[in-house]
Amino acid sequence: MGAAQFVLENVAKRFGNQVAVNPMNLEIRSGEFLAIMGPSGCGKTTTLRMLAGLEAPSEGEIRLNGVRINEFKPHERETPMVWQSLALFPFLNVRENVEFGLKMRGVPKAERAERAHRWLQRLEIDQFAERDIGNLSGGQRQRVALARALVTEPPVLLLDEPLSALDANLVVRMQTVLIRLQKELGITFVYVTHSQSEAFAMADRIVIMNEGSVEQVGTPREIYRAPTNRFVAEFVGTNNIIEGTVSSRKAGMLECDTALGCIRTLCGENNPIHPGNRVDLVIGADLIEVSAEPIWSDNCFPAAFIGEEFVGSVATLHFETESGDEIRVQKQQRETESLELAHGKPLYLHWDADTVYCLASRTSDERGE
Amino acid sequence: MKPRHNMDIYALTWRLPVLVWQTLFFIAPLVFMIAMSFFLVKNYRMVEAFELVNWMKMFSRDYFWDSYVLSLGLAALATICATALAFPASYALAFMVSDNIRRWAIFFLIIPYFTSYLVRIFSWYVLLAEAGIANGVLGYLGLGPFTMLNTAFATIVGYMALTLPLVVILQTLSMANIDRSLIEAAHNLGAGRLRTIVSVVVPAGKVGLIVGALFCFILSFGDFVSPYYLGGSKPPTLTILITDTTKSGQQWPRAAVVAVTMMATLMVIAYSAIRYAYNRRQP
Repeated sequence: MGAAQFVLENVAKRFGNQVAVNPMNLEIRSGEFLAIMGPSGCGKTTTLRMLAGLEAPSEGEIRLNGVRINEFKPHERETPMVWQSLALFPFLNVRENVEFGLKMRGVPKAERAERAHRWLQRLEIDQFAERDIGNLSGGQRQRVALARALVTEPPVLLLDEPLSALDANLVVRMQTVLIRLQKELGITFVYVTHSQSEAFAMADRIVIMNEGSVEQVGTPREIYRAPTNRFVAEFVGTNNIIEGTVSSRKAGMLECDTALGCIRTLCGENNPIHPGNRVDLVIGADLIEVSAEPIWSDNCFPAAFIGEEFVGSVATLHFETESGDEIRVQKQQRETESLELAHGKPLYLHWDADTVYCLASRTSDERGE
Repeated sequence: MKPRHNMDIYALTWRLPVLVWQTLFFIAPLVFMIAMSFFLVKNYRMVEAFELVNWMKMFSRDYFWDSYVLSLGLAALATICATALAFPASYALAFMVSDNIRRWAIFFLIIPYFTSYLVRIFSWYVLLAEAGIANGVLGYLGLGPFTMLNTAFATIVGYMALTLPLVVILQTLSMANIDRSLIEAAHNLGAGRLRTIVSVVVPAGKVGLIVGALFCFILSFGDFVSPYYLGGSKPPTLTILITDTTKSGQQWPRAAVVAVTMMATLMVIAYSAIRYAYNRRQP
């Protein structure tokens, strides 16, 4: 991971009266795989398009290797992009599509053909070189779009939800292709997505955006286990969030009053949370244990099983506590068999204090800032 | 099998009016015209016959081939002019204005067709006359007067009055439908505005550009009014030749020869153009 390549300083974008991106600061490091993630309309695509010069920032400065690039036209930058729609030229065949960028840069014909061929080979689509775009499968088109963007050997590749149109198993295949390419080339990938699984599977760092603002920047692990605010904790889909008030703080152990009862959590020495503070307790769904009998633990609560859903081998179990709150638990599907789950069955949920992540509640005033 | 059979009858019921219409008003007259080209004229009266004499007479006359070349040339020139004049306007309407302005522009481009073509040609007659408005303005600038009426220039002006709005509409619609991300992708891959037009906008809007050009060619090739009133009818185009032939000695069969030749020419050109428009491979 190298030095800062792109620096966004107080960059904002407005379309008329509508704010797309609030003033944001972000450093994109040379050679990293950065994912920008957020719900639709959060400003992630606009941010990417500003890097490519397809949108001009309304304020702030974008620097590439220390040079201000706000005024550079899209064709004066080396920031190739892969579109969600792929934007392949339907009137050109595969080879001509890949050669396009080289042709625009005045590379002689023979060299063009040779370099395009090398990339088609690398992405294992050289046998389709003379085919029309219309006669390719979704995965093959994806590879053509990648080859077209990478053939000029750029220092960065921008990707705008490129896998969203593919079916699930193809997505996983393309993810490995992308990860391998990025490691081999050592160039920066900036990857916009609304899909957690794509971001977590591929990115070195993740930027979470919401309503035009950056909510958190961090490694997937930080985002997942140490969200800095409630939006991130909720957006990373498998967390349970329980609101409460701190009732005591002793030797790094916090006790919080919640609707469930008293929840214990650990607290670092520097954490400024004190008794009386409102907090959101974040408990990862995969960190909760289920047992048939009550167990001596930091946190153990009775709950009734009310339903489950499967994605592959992972089951998400839904429980209702005595307070009426719903708690989600993720387990390997085979682990759930021994529990003999049935609707309404009373069970016990327990988790250790060190698995609870404690967030100071943001009041609505603070969110407005 | 039975439902399938019913479907066919149902589908046929809807196709029938079109088939009847086409047969009555297109195929039947065409067949009659082809047949007529083999008739004879005796004592100023047409006689049913099957003789090749009309074809041989017309095709062996130099004035027929002169008119043929002139008509093709004028129509081709009109097509080039209309396509070239329309493109910047269409490009601006397709890419540089809001959807709302584009809708209004298309509406205003349709309005000229509300008035009779003949009326518009006579307006141009007044404009282009020796003591007309155009020469008046040029004279004010110390130029001219130029003889514009009864020249090929005036004929082309008339053709433009007939076809240019239509060509702009067709080009605009096809270019407005180009996926914007294709244009962005071209910029993104290093193409400036001009190179993007040449290497993306033109090929992506090819169908509209060719269909527009084809309409211009067909309408100009078949137009009688502009070469007659603005172009002065000399030398005659094929359309003028048809009227001259019918007037002189009731030679309807020979006029039919000209008409059938024109029809065949347009068929070949239209077929080739459409084929080229939808041929996805580049030459």
